[in-house]
Amino acid sequence: MAHMHDGGIVERRLRPIYDWLDIGNNKKALQEAEKVLKKTPTLQAARALKALALFRLGKGLEAQVVLDALADEKPSDDTTLQAMTISYRESQQLHKVCMLYENAVKSEPTNEELHSHLFMSYVRVGDYRSQQRAAMALYKFAPKNPYYFWAVMSIVLQAKTSEDNTKRGILLALAQRMVDNFISENKMEAEQEARLYIMILELQEKWEDILKFIESPLYSQLVPGSTAQASIPYLKKLGQWKRLNVVCKELLWDNQDRWDYYVPYFDSVFYLMKENEEDADSSIDNTARKSMSSGRTLRGPYLARLELWKRLAVDGDPTSLIGSALCGARLEAVSWNDSTEEREEKCREFLTCLGFDENSEPESADDIQRHVSCLAAWRLVAAPQPSAGALELAATLRGHYLRCLQKGLVTSNITEFCPADNYGILASSAPIVEALCLLELVLHHSPANFHAKLLLVKLYHLLGNALAADSIYQRLEVKHIQLVSLGWLHCARLAPACLASRALQLLADTRAFLKHHGKDSVEHLTYAYKYGTFEKLVELSAWAARLEACADNRDLNVIVNYEPPQFQDENLKARTFDQEVSYLRLKDALVSAIALCIELADSRPVDEKKGHYEQLNTCIEAFSTAMEKCRQLYAEKERISISAPFPSRIIAFVNSPVPYRELYATILRLVGELAISRTAAAHDACQAVARLLPKAQDQLQDEIAVKGDPVWSMRDRLECLSNYLEFIGIITFLLGVCNELFSPASAKKSKKKTSHSPDEIKTSELLNELNNAVQTSITFLEHILDEWPKYEVSNMDEILAKLTLDDKYQSPVENKLKTGRDDMLNDVRNILKRKSKYLKSLLQ
Amino acid sequence: MTTIRPFTCEDMLKFNNVNLDPLTETYGLSFYTQYLAHWPEYFQVVESPSGEIMGYIMGKAEGHGENWHGHVTALTVGPEYRRLGLAATLMNILEDVKKAYFVDLFVRVSNKVAINMYKNLGYIVYRTVLEYYSGDPDEDAYDMRKACSRDVNKKSVIPLTHPVRPEDVD
Repeated sequence: MAHMHDGGIVERRLRPIYDWLDIGNNKKALQEAEKVLKKTPTLQAARALKALALFRLGKGLEAQVVLDALADEKPSDDTTLQAMTISYRESQQLHKVCMLYENAVKSEPTNEELHSHLFMSYVRVGDYRSQQRAAMALYKFAPKNPYYFWAVMSIVLQAKTSEDNTKRGILLALAQRMVDNFISENKMEAEQEARLYIMILELQEKWEDILKFIESPLYSQLVPGSTAQASIPYLKKLGQWKRLNVVCKELLWDNQDRWDYYVPYFDSVFYLMKENEEDADSSIDNTARKSMSSGRTLRGPYLARLELWKRLAVDGDPTSLIGSALCGARLEAVSWNDSTEEREEKCREFLTCLGFDENSEPESADDIQRHVSCLAAWRLVAAPQPSAGALELAATLRGHYLRCLQKGLVTSNITEFCPADNYGILASSAPIVEALCLLELVLHHSPANFHAKLLLVKLYHLLGNALAADSIYQRLEVKHIQLVSLGWLHCARLAPACLASRALQLLADTRAFLKHHGKDSVEHLTYAYKYGTFEKLVELSAWAARLEACADNRDLNVIVNYEPPQFQDENLKARTFDQEVSYLRLKDALVSAIALCIELADSRPVDEKKGHYEQLNTCIEAFSTAMEKCRQLYAEKERISISAPFPSRIIAFVNSPVPYRELYATILRLVGELAISRTAAAHDACQAVARLLPKAQDQLQDEIAVKGDPVWSMRDRLECLSNYLEFIGIITFLLGVCNELFSPASAKKSKKKTSHSPDEIKTSELLNELNNAVQTSITFLEHILDEWPKYEVSNMDEILAKLTLDDKYQSPVENKLKTGRDDMLNDVRNILKRKSKYLKSLLQ
Repeated sequence: MTTIRPFTCEDMLKFNNVNLDPLTETYGLSFYTQYLAHWPEYFQVVESPSGEIMGYIMGKAEGHGENWHGHVTALTVGPEYRRLGLAATLMNILEDVKKAYFVDLFVRVSNKVAINMYKNLGYIVYRTVLEYYSGDPDEDAYDMRKACSRDVNKKSVIPLTHPVRPEDVD
């Protein structure tokens, strides 16, 4: 084994390799490593770096050979181990890092650094038991607090993941005893250690012990000044209402804006009120008066009164409390217990409580803010208006916005928007094209107003114009985590609006984000141990798991919503998520089947293909069954709401009159039968698809026929078209697979005329027939595209006239709708052209 | 009306109404998780009664000796929740960093609203950092500071007379 003891020389020699690796020039790094190895062929660190360079150059196998040889030598120097760790990490062989350090600590049993790396290697693979062992071993010869608590935390994690309740109890008791010992020996040092202790007690539901600990001098020493706040949840758990009341009241004296103190405070008051009315009354009055005396611009006391009102509404007359409570943006906070009727009756009080009504014309930014808040609160509680009333109100609001614009009350700049914008936002319930024009106008004057942007994206998609939506979406600059929380707004609508290329791009970005995160998420767990942030550890690993799993990460609250509560759909999030997952499952089954078709297309003898053939049939069966089941499950049409996701694609897909289930199943079966030379069955399938196609065309024609307003139905019709386009794409691809099966490229090259059997001639004929039928279908689609209706807005001039203030501003809406439609159609035409060309090349 | 609580990973899924503001940067995921793992106590969120994020602060404690200080990495309040004193509440968290000599932060020289707000909270422009923000064109930053009680002689807030380059900022 070649240990070079002169660290300086080694480091100097290795430096250039690191430098090349750092800037991503792996080829140079490899050359440099080879150079070093010429002089010192056994230098482990250089070999480890060579392996890393090889791996990054895509030469995984060569890298593995070097790594395996190194691992056998059981290296223990840090440079080598670190470089090997990186290689293993990047090649997803984290368990090998554990082995590496297990061997290293054997040769240097008192090396603190190596032991701590060993611990972290277990963290990366989530081996809690080994973590515990490694941490304790470490603590034995390096008795430092963090190592001890690493062990405690490792036990807690074993308990948390244990399904056996007895075992869980024993583990938690052990963890608690370990900390108890430390406390009695006065060894506790850090806030996070105290928090870990509370976590352990919480998992055992020992509320009294927690309270005792929080109230101890040790806790205030470790976490100064937080005893009162920390005790709130446990006083509540223990039902100690009087103490809770006192603690919260004390906290509220100094923090009048803290909702997290008001809520438990009210909890205590209302509980005590039941027990002893007189006592409780005095507490309410006292604090309410105190709140009212606040001269600052805090919303707390006001909203607290609303909350109080809500709670009092159970008995008594709370309306006397209404007043200047409307100084905030959104009032969904206070969810009303009142009946709908009662609420709607009182709704005008929200509008008029500050002396405004819908026709008021405030002149200052503050008054405008108050006015729009009153209007918003009114809309939130009022009855849904008959359409005439809604139009009239939208017109009034538009008038307000234009008035502000004219009077210079729209004071936005490039980075900030202004209260007057909200008139425009509130008026977005106007007829759609009018709303689009108004919102574009708002955005023109307030380029930072993301509410206008979000609404515009939704409204353009409502009209099925994905390119127009894209023009706005780009301006939201959605990136990183927003791709998953906000991407749904746009991404989900691109493919059904026939904008496949843009959909692909956005999905690829999103996938890259998730993939990148998957790689580095375990590293954050090692940081959390390093810094002793035990609470975050649990959170971070749950987060990593969430991003890897198929979880609903959509932020559905980001779009402003002024619909009254009866339109708020409690199950919306869960239901739409379930629909999307079902749709993905259907698509997944299709993709799996297509992948099997590709597997079946190779040149193995028929006997060896039986396994894949069976799998394909199972897959087709599963797809068919799922289609049928989904058709029953998702028969109902969803209500369209501007702040909610559009109905999932599954609804149009499974309810389509075009028989997609049979179409997909039969074309997939054709490939399978052809692959194992069941000629008769293949012929049947081929003829069946060819027969289905003309019917499917008729059904599609029906499905996309203009019914009602052509502008409004554009989105639905495009979605139906997109489903058919996807089918055409897949059948074209599968005909290519059939071609490969029937006359492999290798055979063609030989150019030898081979004589065909009558069966083969028949197959060739039938495939040609089907190919021609698909081409006919494409021609049919091209005709549909040529006839595709335009966005004809009959009253466009009238709409624009309503918004015209000066001649300089040109509304972009009409042009966006037109070019969006034209470009999308051209995009589809180009795709079809390519398919057609490919199909022609397949004809025998 | 506000609940102040630690920022959690899941908050990243719902901070859009704050982060869509053009002056609020949405960083790569690991930037947030790194702060969460290292300085969870200085990464706090203010939340409305309906559970909406009104704003948050992301900070750290760093430096040696008399340079031990709180640093504000990001402070943002959603457009609907401005002028309610939330930023001041959040800044208090960093100003409470144990035994710190001062708190500092960087701000775009064009961000007048923020600069004024920090001035009102007692911060001064300590120095200008040239072309700190990359973009087209690059933009200078003010390094603003406020001394904490531990810095008795207010040594940390004597402004530099010359601007510095980003590479000279530790």
